[in-house]
Amino acid sequence: MSEHPLADEAFEPYEPRRPVPLPVYWMAIALALWGAVTLWNDSTAQSSGVGQRLAEAGDMTRRHSAAGADLFAQRCATCHQADGAGVAGAVPPLQGSRFLGANPQLVVQILLHGINGPIAVGGDRFDGHMPAFGSVLDDGQIARLVTHLRATWGNGGEVDAAFVKAQRQATRERHASWNGGADLVSLDPAVGPQPAFLSAPPAPSDSVAMALARGGKAGGWACAACHGAAGEGRSGVPRLAGLPADYIAQALLAFSTGTRASDIMGPIARQLDGPERVGLGRLYATMASASRARPELDGDLARGATLALQGDDRRDVPSCFSCHGPSGFGVAPIVPAIAAQQPAYTAGRLAALGRHGKDDAGAAVMPSVAARLSDADRRAVADYLATLPPSPAIDTDTKDAR
Amino acid sequence: MNRALPLVILAMTILAFATMLLVVVPRAQIGSEPPAAGLRAYSPEELRGRAQYMSLGCVYCHSQQPRTPDQAPDGERGWGRPSVAADYAYDSPHLMGTMRTGPDLLNVGARLPSTAWHLTHLYRPRAIAPWSIMPSYPFLFEIKDHAAPGDTVVWLPREQRVAGKVVVARPEAMALVAYLLSLDRTYPAPASAIRDDGYSRVGGKP
Repeated sequence: MSEHPLADEAFEPYEPRRPVPLPVYWMAIALALWGAVTLWNDSTAQSSGVGQRLAEAGDMTRRHSAAGADLFAQRCATCHQADGAGVAGAVPPLQGSRFLGANPQLVVQILLHGINGPIAVGGDRFDGHMPAFGSVLDDGQIARLVTHLRATWGNGGEVDAAFVKAQRQATRERHASWNGGADLVSLDPAVGPQPAFLSAPPAPSDSVAMALARGGKAGGWACAACHGAAGEGRSGVPRLAGLPADYIAQALLAFSTGTRASDIMGPIARQLDGPERVGLGRLYATMASASRARPELDGDLARGATLALQGDDRRDVPSCFSCHGPSGFGVAPIVPAIAAQQPAYTAGRLAALGRHGKDDAGAAVMPSVAARLSDADRRAVADYLATLPPSPAIDTDTKDAR
Repeated sequence: MNRALPLVILAMTILAFATMLLVVVPRAQIGSEPPAAGLRAYSPEELRGRAQYMSLGCVYCHSQQPRTPDQAPDGERGWGRPSVAADYAYDSPHLMGTMRTGPDLLNVGARLPSTAWHLTHLYRPRAIAPWSIMPSYPFLFEIKDHAAPGDTVVWLPREQRVAGKVVVARPEAMALVAYLLSLDRTYPAPASAIRDDGYSRVGGKP
């Protein structure tokens, strides 16, 4: 019997102890450090996010509680001038205006609904064309603004939010602006003799366009189903009321040819012929409706105001209003109104123009500007434009007649 | 397996930790979140449409959760503001989805409020966008010789119509469209809402 060396039955196999390689430790430590730094970064992002949200809320509160003088500087001084002198032949003066000396109800009503028609102030006749602030200023803001106006150029006396609320309630059925001085003299005869308002007779094509807008073509989709009964638009769907007629007709043509890509508008526009495009353009150009746009893109409103009013030289971005007209009301026939436009549409359209390089008419001016705007700038300017009052309707017929 | 007990305890602890962080803590955070002001409960018709939405598998391609501007340009796409927990108060289960093969639908009722458009799109997506890869749902519709009173006829572009026939929406299609139109969270988010504050925008501003 020979002893076999492997016959040791008591032997337990074991693995010799091998140390973990050093680089693995280094990697583990590096990962742990990275994780800790990320966690720390995230926690500061969280608190700075909360801080920014609070700052924005404070900014919003300040905008809503701005004193009358601040509101005048933001909203009125562009046209009526800081000293209320107006612009000879274009914008009526506030200094010595009988409209401010009259009862406060009149001033409140003008601010709520705007003016669209000839008006006589201080012996001069003006082509009254004032936007309606009812949809962008709340009762308290209008009260403070009117109090400021009357204290500076009128008879003095305070107006409170309850008074504005009652006035708003009294004329809530009114959707159009006041038809010039002729309408206003009926509210308060103290404003003196006013020129007559002659409304343009409706063109025969208007009823066809109205039917198209409300019912669609041959049972198809109606414009009003998405753009609203008064062309006011909704989140992401553009406002059409007050856009120049030619601009709308050209956009419809661009949709139908595919120059401007849109899954939704393409099939609709292809069903329309030339006269229908023109008719729809005229219809929406002459529509006036309250603004339904509100800032919704988390944009920086102060930056948006700077871009709209002054532009940004460093980025070679001109002021929006230098082409789109004072207060962004558009310049007929082809430069669209941008005030009170739905912010998601404005920002999306700017992004699309910047990428595409051509607008509906094939021009490259706006696309080249849009391409220089950053994402934050697009949101800022879109949100700022949503705080502006809508452009007064374009009365194509009276313009032609003159 | 001579250390079964410690192994089981360790596994259970890991599971309990995960359950704590993924279920219990979020539940405590958002479980008592009240519905947002401006949000209304679904009607029975909309709930039937919601069941259709689930059974047709819409959630596999469509999310219902617009992101913050830091994460994606959803606002510019017209998909709406970033959603908050209170927006889903009536959604059980929520249909947030994970894939975005198609657009986000949380605000589709706001940006496409036309019933007629949705019917055409569900019947034949290619009638609207020739490149669309969305499946068509012809079984939600009926092709008839004449529309009976009360029928909803689906509009089709001129070149897509079948001569002498009309396409009529079945109740399932109407319910689904009612649900889609109810997807509208465009009211302002509650100031106290639980939300993703995103990343720091310091330096992101121009």
